[in-house]
Amino acid sequence: MQSTPKSGENFWLWFLKIASGILILFILAIHLTVNHFTAPNGLLSHREVVAYFQNPLVLFMEGLFLLLLVIHSLLGLRGIILDLNPPESTRRLIDIIFLVVGTIVSLYGWWLLFAVRSLTS
Amino acid sequence: MKADKHNSKGFWDWFNPAGRDAGGWAFILNRLSALGLAFYLYLHLFVLGKLAQGPDAFDQFVAAAKSPLYTVGELLVIAAALYHGLNGVRLVLNSFNIGVPRQKQMFYTALLLTVIGTIIFAARMFTAS
Amino acid sequence: MWKITYRIRRQKGDEASHYDTFQVEVDPEEYVLDGIEKIWAFEDRSLTFRHACHHSTCGACGMRVNGVEKLTCITKIKDVTQDGGTLTVDPLRNFPVVSDLVVDLGPLYRKMEAVHAPPVHPLSMTPWEGEDIRPPKEVPTPPEGGEYIRLPDCLECGICISACPVAASDPDYLGPAPLAAIQIQGLEGHPELLALADSQQGVWRCHSAFECSAVCPSSVDPGWRIMDLRRQVTARRLKTIIG
Repeated sequence: MQSTPKSGENFWLWFLKIASGILILFILAIHLTVNHFTAPNGLLSHREVVAYFQNPLVLFMEGLFLLLLVIHSLLGLRGIILDLNPPESTRRLIDIIFLVVGTIVSLYGWWLLFAVRSLTS
Repeated sequence: MKADKHNSKGFWDWFNPAGRDAGGWAFILNRLSALGLAFYLYLHLFVLGKLAQGPDAFDQFVAAAKSPLYTVGELLVIAAALYHGLNGVRLVLNSFNIGVPRQKQMFYTALLLTVIGTIIFAARMFTAS
Repeated sequence: MWKITYRIRRQKGDEASHYDTFQVEVDPEEYVLDGIEKIWAFEDRSLTFRHACHHSTCGACGMRVNGVEKLTCITKIKDVTQDGGTLTVDPLRNFPVVSDLVVDLGPLYRKMEAVHAPPVHPLSMTPWEGEDIRPPKEVPTPPEGGEYIRLPDCLECGICISACPVAASDPDYLGPAPLAAIQIQGLEGHPELLALADSQQGVWRCHSAFECSAVCPSSVDPGWRIMDLRRQVTARRLKTIIG
């Protein structure tokens, strides 16, 4: 084995993964309760969803939820890839790809939230 | 010596339950649910793009999604999320060295709660439609 | 006496592996290793396997018996099969196969060296008997002062590495025994080991399958130790920002 430890993972990345995981659990509980229990038809019509998004608190919660899910899923997938012991160059490439994908998906999601919110008829 | 003499099947061994104990099953289920949920997350975001296309596109999709096949798929997502979340609590506690000697019981509890939760959701979803 | 079938994985040099079967008459009270020795003595002199002490001290005879890692010198035949049954014996996983049931444990030894695994350690670090592993509450002090020392429990048999799903895909992962060796030294007294524990091949590669602890033939409980090492790393990293 090599003498210098590989730097592809560390406490802070792991901490971010579990912290996002715990926050996801809290928001998921609210998300599922609202979507499947509170809303009379389970938020299944376009009109209902748009009305739901008028609440700024909902908008903030869903936006944060998306960000946390993206962080948790990409860090998790990255961990799975690291289990395959990829070469250092591949790991760096994956880091860049995941950063770009994470940013684009988050921006798309937030755009979607505001786009839907503005669709009041 | 041959290069493949590391004597493992690589990542296939992640999912090989032969000879493994409860913790091994917990790991296999955690990894499978992780991959499934990650796939679902990005699919879900893509589908929700229909919301921006206006009421017709979205409501048409929702109507199509009321078929039993979609409901079963949704239930799978719920089961995976419940398990991944509950097992996640076990992993976090264990990582701070809380309850490690009881990790098997914690796994069985997570599994039991997942089954109960999934049944409750299934009952609601199938009676609602 | 029982009549059982040993199904042993064979592999010499670059040839593909295959199974050879041997009918053996054994006393069910005998150990799996005894049967393998009988096969070597009376059936096939070309069968290679490692063994030395025959009382779970040297850690040489680790193999997979019916798919589960066992120290074959302390695994009774009656506990893993029945009269007329079959025992499938494979070499340990996640190590290079040298010949038949012999694997090269070199990678493990090099990792143990990298983490400065101590040949002896203070009695105060001894795992306490019982469900929760912790040091004994009252550690006796030698009359002349100082501290009693003892040999570590880890036999360096490689069984935990063979059972670990992550070690299957990442040969650079330190793995259960070396991480346990860091934990027993403690990051408090050995801060130089922090960088290795908190790295890509350190504690974060563990995904809590706890298979290492399930198969460990000694009382190391590596899974518990990795989790405790995680707690130690977390405490030290959080301390750096809190001050």
